[in-house]
Amino acid sequence: MSSKKWLITFTCTVVAICLLLLVGNVLVDPFGVFGDPIFHWDSYSQTLNPRVGKIEYLDRHHEEYDSYILGCSSTSSFPVEKLNEYLDAKFYNLFTYGADMLDVEQFARYIIDNYTVKNILLNVYIDNGSVYAEPGDINGSMHYKVDGSSKFDFYKKFIFLDPNYALDKVKRYFADEYLSEPYDVFWTPTGSYDKRERDVEPIGGLSEYEALPAYSDFADYPTYPVPLNVIDETMESVARIKQMCEDAGINLIVVSGPVYSGYMRGVPREDAGEFYSALAAVTPFWDFTMSSVSTEPRYFYDLTHFRNCVGEMALARIFGDKSVYIPEDFGVYVEGDSSAELLARNDAILDAEPASLTPEARVPVLLYHNIVPDGEEGFTASQLEGQLSALRDAGYTAVSFSELEDYVYRGADLPEKSVVITFDDGYASNYELAYPLLKKYGMKATIFVIGVSVGHKQYYKDTLFELTPHFDEAEMLEMSNSGLVSIQSHSYDMHQWAPFESGDRVREDIKRFKGESEEDFVAAVKEDFELSRTKIEAVTGKTVDVLAFPEGIYDELSQWALLDSGVNVTLSCRHGVNTLVKGLPQCLSAMYRIYADGYATGDELLSSIDSLT
Amino acid sequence: MDITSWQFLALIAVTLTVYILLPQKYRWTALLAASIVFYAAGGAAAMAYLLVTSVTTYFCARCIDALAAKRANLDAAEKKATRPAFDRKRHILVAAACLINFGMLFAVKYFDGVIALVTHGQGPALGLIVPVGISFYIFQSVGYVIDVSRGKARAERNYLKYLLFVSFFPQMVQGPIDRFGHLHPQLMEGRRPTADNARDGIQLMMWGFFKKLVIAGRAGTVVNAIYSDAGAYPGSAIAFAVLMYTIELYCDFSGGIDIVRGTAEIFGIDMAENFKRPFFATSLAEFWRRWHITLGAWMRDYVFYPLSLSRAFAAIGRFSRKHINGTVGRILPTSLATFIIYFIIGIWHGANLTYLAYGFYNGGIITLSIILAPFYGRVRKALRVNEESGLYRAFCVVRTFFVVFVGRYFVRAPWLKMSFVMLKRTVCDFYISALWPTVTGLGMTLSDLAVVLAGFAVILAFELIEERGVNIRESLAKRGFFVQWAAMVLPLLVILLLGVLGGGGGGEFIYGRI
Repeated sequence: MSSKKWLITFTCTVVAICLLLLVGNVLVDPFGVFGDPIFHWDSYSQTLNPRVGKIEYLDRHHEEYDSYILGCSSTSSFPVEKLNEYLDAKFYNLFTYGADMLDVEQFARYIIDNYTVKNILLNVYIDNGSVYAEPGDINGSMHYKVDGSSKFDFYKKFIFLDPNYALDKVKRYFADEYLSEPYDVFWTPTGSYDKRERDVEPIGGLSEYEALPAYSDFADYPTYPVPLNVIDETMESVARIKQMCEDAGINLIVVSGPVYSGYMRGVPREDAGEFYSALAAVTPFWDFTMSSVSTEPRYFYDLTHFRNCVGEMALARIFGDKSVYIPEDFGVYVEGDSSAELLARNDAILDAEPASLTPEARVPVLLYHNIVPDGEEGFTASQLEGQLSALRDAGYTAVSFSELEDYVYRGADLPEKSVVITFDDGYASNYELAYPLLKKYGMKATIFVIGVSVGHKQYYKDTLFELTPHFDEAEMLEMSNSGLVSIQSHSYDMHQWAPFESGDRVREDIKRFKGESEEDFVAAVKEDFELSRTKIEAVTGKTVDVLAFPEGIYDELSQWALLDSGVNVTLSCRHGVNTLVKGLPQCLSAMYRIYADGYATGDELLSSIDSLT
Repeated sequence: MDITSWQFLALIAVTLTVYILLPQKYRWTALLAASIVFYAAGGAAAMAYLLVTSVTTYFCARCIDALAAKRANLDAAEKKATRPAFDRKRHILVAAACLINFGMLFAVKYFDGVIALVTHGQGPALGLIVPVGISFYIFQSVGYVIDVSRGKARAERNYLKYLLFVSFFPQMVQGPIDRFGHLHPQLMEGRRPTADNARDGIQLMMWGFFKKLVIAGRAGTVVNAIYSDAGAYPGSAIAFAVLMYTIELYCDFSGGIDIVRGTAEIFGIDMAENFKRPFFATSLAEFWRRWHITLGAWMRDYVFYPLSLSRAFAAIGRFSRKHINGTVGRILPTSLATFIIYFIIGIWHGANLTYLAYGFYNGGIITLSIILAPFYGRVRKALRVNEESGLYRAFCVVRTFFVVFVGRYFVRAPWLKMSFVMLKRTVCDFYISALWPTVTGLGMTLSDLAVVLAGFAVILAFELIEERGVNIRESLAKRGFFVQWAAMVLPLLVILLLGVLGGGGGGEFIYGRI
């Protein structure tokens, strides 16, 4: 090859490689800056760089919103739905991870200049006093439209992007699962983190919680210093945001979100005081930084990230919503310098540690199935009566699941010794033998019926296979009307009996078939529960929002499908006593149960409960 | 301006276009303009230092030239008579150029370090920012004044033309330190670059990008952390870091020089060679003749020879031969000069006792090897070692590499004591099992290490071929189209994917699960 030919070939090769790179990066568009023409996967690009990804998304969708939440990652947990309800607005959560107040100010300016904005909820988190104007790498850099940086550099960066980004995106697209993965952590329509898994994870006692690998930090929380040395710069940004909102007639709500006490220990006392004074000097604000909530690890994902339910409590406090449980000391409205009082409050809370200041209750849930008349083989009516009377004598009050929900969601009281009595499957013996005893002892119970089996007195479905008889709709109504028995769901037809089912796919419990897609499974679970609910509610006229998993088998997908269908309480067959925490809905997820019909006498049952309490 | 940035490539493209379009006579102005753009990107202060150096050396050389011109028409007797006065004057002018420029270099580069060393960090500091490449252009300019003083070159009368010699853009960052007589005529000639020039230049630049971006960047991952806090790491990790640093330094420096020389070659300008496969040296002295060649040559021509030939050294020589018997007495003056050279080379790197120790280390080993040469000769004879055999050469190469490797314990350590701590830990606390966890803990992945080692092996393989006298460029040019095309695409892709674009991929999502 002559050198001339070499040069021409070289030039063509370089141009070809550049074009290939350009086309690949534009089409796959890992950061979503070219409209993501193939994958339309906003959550992925937002996870790679939320500052860029969210602005790209909003530029296309801002007409669907009229209000915004701004702040760092903990800000994710202020629920958009609740704000929409309280303010009759359409909120988008424009938080980004690692945001400092300069980022927030730039976002505020951008949305005010370019979108319709009625309300802004601004979270000035305490650690915003420790970082300001941090330069960002490719995952943390700002959109050129927002910070006014070079458009040329911006697009150059994404056109000549490491092709591994594109390869990763393609690979992950095909491996993506229904629930969130580390590479798609945002729930696109709201802008919040996708916390579906966290919202259904069962949470019980504190020591159990701390034993979970994800939360082991709370067990022996290391204190490390968090000096707040950029308070002035941070508050100047807050002041400018406030001014912008005033000029544009925007309703600005400033909050300082809750912090885990172990983290707060690292913030020098005088710095915290300066933070409170400086913020108060700029604007009145709702202070949630420290309260009894801060002492409760179960309210936190980690040191600076509080759970969605805590965000809900905070909003309820701001908007005076009495229907939601809020700890009394949670949230104060600060006008003028109250730093001395706030510091004194912090001291008191830190001194009271390590004891958690959150109210909790221990509630056993008993599980029965079929009852047989005395003299027959099985768990007899007399044995049941023995257990009921033993429970009564031991001071237990049988409560319903709605009372547990009231305790958790609304902070209502529970009897000191509460127990929940449950029967699975809906056997006729529950009506014939157990119901009279419940009436006799005035004890409440919940029966989980399999929708398809209601009224099947002799045969399994439309076969000629004999089965233990199930009560019918009239009996169901009678029990329900008594006020003692609540009828809830044990699925409509997801507790099938394999030997007597036709077809090759049998749903013995709520579990995915081999090869069934996650989407199809979620849809099937939702559809099944809807059938179950419709059937029961049509008979009893009472709400169905509790489900006992057949065989106690559950997974994150089924839990999420049910929560999304309005099921507030689910029950597993895990052996144990439940710990209920006020304000923490996850303690009603996949609750423990005790196989009470495995104990011959009331005393045996009681001693088993005692050993677990 | 970074020579691995796209701006640098754009500067080359624009300059080359203008260079070709201009009439031959004015082509040098395109290079000057590019050089000013290149250096001005580094800030105004940097420009000021460059101006001081270029103006002072320009005037000193012009004065010497004027003095010499005056004597040109004299007859032999008059020349002889005016010789001492002329010598004195030109020496004063050379000394002035040295004083001003090395004084400035001292102030910028060494003052704070020396004061801190003497006062244990309590003294005042100038806090000046060391401008890019200042040592290089000062050495090059002072060399020019000496050349003029020695009558080896005529002074350039046009200041701007001279400024181009001082500031020629590719060499501004890290040399090579070229000679006036070699570089300046080429800059002025303005010859139209050929397609051969462009191809060769591009190939050399690609080779440089490969070394610098693909290998040096990766090898450096663990270097900073371990050198700065060596006491916290096991000996095996320290030795690993030193090895990585040895690779990093060579790939970064020689890769940079390849980019520089490749750039110049595109313009049809041949710059001095700076590296000649140093890892194939069979002795430390040879290593230094292959490593940073232009600095060594500068030292040889402008320090070593004048020193060795000076009256003081002649006196030392006479004294040592008279009073010290054997080899030692014979080589003492040369050894002393060698010592001084390595001492200066050590200092040249920076104001730190580590560099001083580094100078002594090199000077010491070279002197020792000269003294022990006869002894080694006897040992070789007794063991019947064939000095011409490949095996013996390989042994020498490995031995030299080891000596260089140990020297790297000194170059990079933050202070001298740390060098010894590192050496001690390498010997006493090796803990091989702790090596890999430490390395991965510092962010180096297995694939990074594989790239570094495979890349370095490729470099050594190519160098071995060249060492055997094969001209790779020529033999490649004789191959078929697809071989040549593959030899173009493969490096391009490697540089692009593993170097320029990083290879970071989707990476970790720190905030993924909270």
